[in-house]
Amino acid sequence: MKQVAEGSQAVSEAVRLAKVQVIAAYPITPQTHIVEELSEYCANGTLNARFICVESEHSAMAALIGAASSGVRTFTATSSHGLAYMHELLHWASGARLPIVMTNVNRALGPGWNIWLDQTDSLSQRDTGWIQLYCEDSQDALDTTLIAYRLAESVNLPVMVVLDAFFLSHTYEPVDIPDQETVNTFLPPLSPRFQIDTANPAAFNQFVSPQAYMEMRYNIQTAMQRVPGNYNEIAQDFKAIFGRDPRLAEDVHCDDAEIIFVTAGTTVSTCRQAVDRLRQAGEKAGLLKLKMFRPFPVDFFRQVLNGKQKVAVVDRNCSFGASGIFAQELRAALYNAEAPPEIFGYIAGLGGRDVTPETIEDIYWQTKRADRLQTENIWIGLDQETLKTWRN
Amino acid sequence: MTDNKTPHHKIPLFLPHSSTSTAANKTGSWRYVRPVYDEKTSPCSAACPAGEDIARIEMLLSRTLIQEACETILEENPFPAVCGRVCFHNCEGACNRGQMDDPVAIQQLERFIGDAAISKTEIPQIKTLPGNGKKVAIAGSGPAGLGAAYFLARLGFACEVFEAASEPGGILRWGIPTYRLPRGVLQKEIRRIKELGVTLNCSAPVNAEMLKTFKNRYDAVFIGCGHGRAIDLQFEGAQKAINGLQFLHNIRARHEMSLNSKRTAAVIGGGNTAIDVARTLIRLGIDPIIVYRRRRQDMPAFDPELQMALDEGVTLKELLTPIAIKGAGRDPAGRQTPYLVTLQKMKVSAMQIEGRARVIPDGDQTETLEIDYIFSAIGAEPEAVWHQAPTGKSSSLNLSHCKLIKDDIPIAYGGDLTNRVKSVADAVASGKQAAIALDTYFKYGWDAVNKAVAGCQVGSGPAVSMAMYLDDDRKNRNPQIVSFNEINTHYFKSASRASVTVLPPGDRIQTFLPVESTLTPEAAVEESQRCFNCGICNACDYCRLYCPEMSVMVEDERRHINLDYCKGCGLCVAECPRNAMALKEENI
Amino acid sequence: MAQLKVTDQDYFIPGHLGCPGCGAAIAMKFALKALGEKTIVVMAASCASIIAGPYPQSSVKVPVLHTAFATGGAAASGVRAALEMKGDTETTVVSWAGDGGTFDIGLQSLSGAVERNEDCIFVCYDNEAYMNTGVQRSSSTPFGVRTTTTPGQDWKKTRKKNIMETMAAHRIPYAATASIAFPEDLIAKFEKAREKKGGSRFIHIFASCATGWGAPSDMSVKIARLAVQTNIFPLYEIEDGTRYTLNYKGDSRVEDYLQTQGRFKHLSKKDISRIQDLVTEDWNHLLYKTGEVPS
Repeated sequence: MKQVAEGSQAVSEAVRLAKVQVIAAYPITPQTHIVEELSEYCANGTLNARFICVESEHSAMAALIGAASSGVRTFTATSSHGLAYMHELLHWASGARLPIVMTNVNRALGPGWNIWLDQTDSLSQRDTGWIQLYCEDSQDALDTTLIAYRLAESVNLPVMVVLDAFFLSHTYEPVDIPDQETVNTFLPPLSPRFQIDTANPAAFNQFVSPQAYMEMRYNIQTAMQRVPGNYNEIAQDFKAIFGRDPRLAEDVHCDDAEIIFVTAGTTVSTCRQAVDRLRQAGEKAGLLKLKMFRPFPVDFFRQVLNGKQKVAVVDRNCSFGASGIFAQELRAALYNAEAPPEIFGYIAGLGGRDVTPETIEDIYWQTKRADRLQTENIWIGLDQETLKTWRN
Repeated sequence: MTDNKTPHHKIPLFLPHSSTSTAANKTGSWRYVRPVYDEKTSPCSAACPAGEDIARIEMLLSRTLIQEACETILEENPFPAVCGRVCFHNCEGACNRGQMDDPVAIQQLERFIGDAAISKTEIPQIKTLPGNGKKVAIAGSGPAGLGAAYFLARLGFACEVFEAASEPGGILRWGIPTYRLPRGVLQKEIRRIKELGVTLNCSAPVNAEMLKTFKNRYDAVFIGCGHGRAIDLQFEGAQKAINGLQFLHNIRARHEMSLNSKRTAAVIGGGNTAIDVARTLIRLGIDPIIVYRRRRQDMPAFDPELQMALDEGVTLKELLTPIAIKGAGRDPAGRQTPYLVTLQKMKVSAMQIEGRARVIPDGDQTETLEIDYIFSAIGAEPEAVWHQAPTGKSSSLNLSHCKLIKDDIPIAYGGDLTNRVKSVADAVASGKQAAIALDTYFKYGWDAVNKAVAGCQVGSGPAVSMAMYLDDDRKNRNPQIVSFNEINTHYFKSASRASVTVLPPGDRIQTFLPVESTLTPEAAVEESQRCFNCGICNACDYCRLYCPEMSVMVEDERRHINLDYCKGCGLCVAECPRNAMALKEENI
Repeated sequence: MAQLKVTDQDYFIPGHLGCPGCGAAIAMKFALKALGEKTIVVMAASCASIIAGPYPQSSVKVPVLHTAFATGGAAASGVRAALEMKGDTETTVVSWAGDGGTFDIGLQSLSGAVERNEDCIFVCYDNEAYMNTGVQRSSSTPFGVRTTTTPGQDWKKTRKKNIMETMAAHRIPYAATASIAFPEDLIAKFEKAREKKGGSRFIHIFASCATGWGAPSDMSVKIARLAVQTNIFPLYEIEDGTRYTLNYKGDSRVEDYLQTQGRFKHLSKKDISRIQDLVTEDWNHLLYKTGEVPS
């Protein structure tokens, strides 16, 4: 049923429809609406789940590890420092092969304290073995959350569903919220491949020597490699049931594009608008929506971008000492392509600084003007007056 | 749910989880010392002349296994009900529990167990070997002679006892008064010995000529005639004194005594006989005074007995010895006049032997005692020369509690004839030691006897154990005696000793019935639980409880160590409340 | 056990890697006897994690979920929540952590869990240092001890944190101390905790470490006994954070305990006297709380 809903609410509805059983969460702006909604559902019986009001994010993930190990469907949400606090246990969750689903609302890391959009928090966790899926709008958030459970449970790896702070989490849009019966045909109850059980006592996650650890790690990598294939199968099923196609990466006008934008999150929506305008003006602009970041869909990107001229990556994040992370990953993915495009990296919109269609157009023209890469990253929209004060 | 929605069945999972147990790791290889069950000797059993396995007796009693407890006593001593009344219980003095609170009331418990057996509430089984075709003649049916008969019969010998008096028992029947040892108790324990097939001839004295004929009719002889003759006082008028031993005999034989009550009597002597005489006299209404030449603490009598006597109204005069008795004639009216006894005052000289004072006359100081009757009880000696072992014989063995002579047939001498300490328990020990010696002699020859006897010593001796001789588990016990500081007192709660009802002195002297009661079964079992069971395993299971490797196993009620896993930490040995384990070095 | 009121049944398997004489192994053995097979153990990183068996082995007959060091309280909460959702009210959830995972790195998670009154038993087996990583000090290390991070003259000059008081401050239904040297008391307390369903229970076990404390392996139980007898580690219970019950009154001097372990060897008479004062102070305070003395 279509209704106007906030991004956070779209997530909560998906969690409800997924019949999650244990939720453990700690509030942090701007994730709070998600956990508040879910608390309401649990309190009024809309959702039959245990909501543990843990005392920190680290404990939130620890509680879910305990619960998921016991064979129930779990959920949490966090952001920024909360996610960073969980870091140790993100490694643990994937190493323990638990199909936990978590929403991360991309928020800047301090100091300075900043509650607005920045992607560095989730991308800093790219080595933890979590699948990462980025959402463009509220519908995307709801759909991706439902898909996340099927995907996680198919490979026994945890999934992070990522939303932009405020632009997505606190924006109201029309969302088609499906009914429970329909969702049930898409997402059955969890059938755990293992659980701690007094009927079959065993120890889990114990001390492992060099003789076996590497094979366990290889098993994780092998599972990760199955993810894109699994995702596509699940997406087909989703499309058949709900009529929407949640492709793991979407190309817009890429066939004949000379400059293709690559970005993730709400920036994709902004790009769509900018690309339309540029096309109307006769420019051969294109857009590649990056939905799945982990595993990085190397094959897909090679296939679409091979032989193309230029790519403009818009990173709302930065790995200091290296570059914008999407740009870095894309460059690595295309290194072995036969005819890789020139990849221009742009860092924009950190800490909630707005990225408008004008910003995107500006990036287009900069890219068009440049023959080749002059620098790894170009920072867009820096305030020159402020920079002048640095000399003092 | 169906698998087509979740294609995970195609992806194998490999994560850290257990599929086996740690039982595959034989951690026994870590060990450099290993614990063993090493039962040791309790101090009480080493102090008991009969070598009774007291720690085990109390353990059985604590589990209300009274029959088994009695069998354990009977293994070493056929007279529990008797000893439970008259023994001087060295065991209690050695008892380790005494260093924590009170010693275990071992004698009371033996009495309880012995009484249960003779009252037929428990019928103990006595281990005996099959008949060996040999016959032994035994002279004297006191505790030594009957003890010898008991142990020899158990070893398969056919025994015939010759007793001069009309009833058997020796000092048990004719010396000790009934308020200490009732006749029925003695009779029942003697009957149990007869039930082993021992022939008992009363009113059948042995003399030197008969003794010579024994070599034709028997394979061995045991002589346990005791000290049948009282030692006489030697001074002017000494013959006026009544023989104390004879007096006690007459009382037991219920002969008429021409003694008038409300008279006074002096009892010369300081041993148990003197006390027995005095306490008998007071029950006849006579006022006794014990006159002893040394001090109270030097008296050979058991002090608790002396204290009983004093409580009953007997008087004690110390450091006095009679040197003349005069008088006791008739007065002009024809009434008997009292004796006048001259008593020499004694004093302690500077020297002490074995803790007993040496005394010498205190100058010329004397006292005169006016007294109606005089009794002497200054000791006894063998009645006949042939009662004693001949000296200077070429083939003779001097064991701690008996002497063996190889004549035409072996002759053993035991009891008061050979023992340094003249007690019932030592007499029983004589009989046992002689039985073991004779059995070894007939099986393995004269030269094997010393070693055989040494091989069944309890601790470092001198007591010997029949159980050890018959190759029971007890033979494997470590002779090391457990001391108090080897006991883990934490495992024992403080509890005071059980007490029996004792008649008040005023009531006691009205009767010859027993002075003390026997413990009730509940009280006896409770008291036995105070016993540490020094050195023996009583299945408390603390070793098994604490073992961090779950490597103490129980099979058929016995414990052993699972050497596959034992790491040799030693906790079991350290925590054993009673030092029944030890650590041995591993042979690496 | 023949004469003890303790079950013969063990849920602990030999072949584990505990040091000879390991007090933690004894603690686990006793606790499992009381808890029985319907138990899930959540095990934060500690010596116990190794004793519980390396991959692919387990040394316990109940399920064990190993978790990260700081997470005992939270992971146990999650397991309990899951069991509730599965309709299982019978299984006991136990968090088994050392002093590190309880007093220090695990304190937040434990505090959060017991403030929520989670229906679990939280156990701390206390060997008074981070033993698994090489005997480094913890906040449970007592005053006076040399460890690898309080070596030489820098022996620990701060007092042992009082974790029982910390738990009492949360007003949990049941908290108790226990000692491996008092097995029947320990097992009874675990049985009591097992039966007191519906809220948080905490048990603080004194688990001697012969290896880390510089004592021979056969002294583990005796040392634990002396700790109680000298009132250094009293045995008591706290119900609902306010009702104290004293289980044992010791009357020995601290020297009897201190002289058994190399980790106290460096102490002067003055230091020992100071320790006696600290112990007496804490003991008097406990006597007051248990109603043994007026004030």
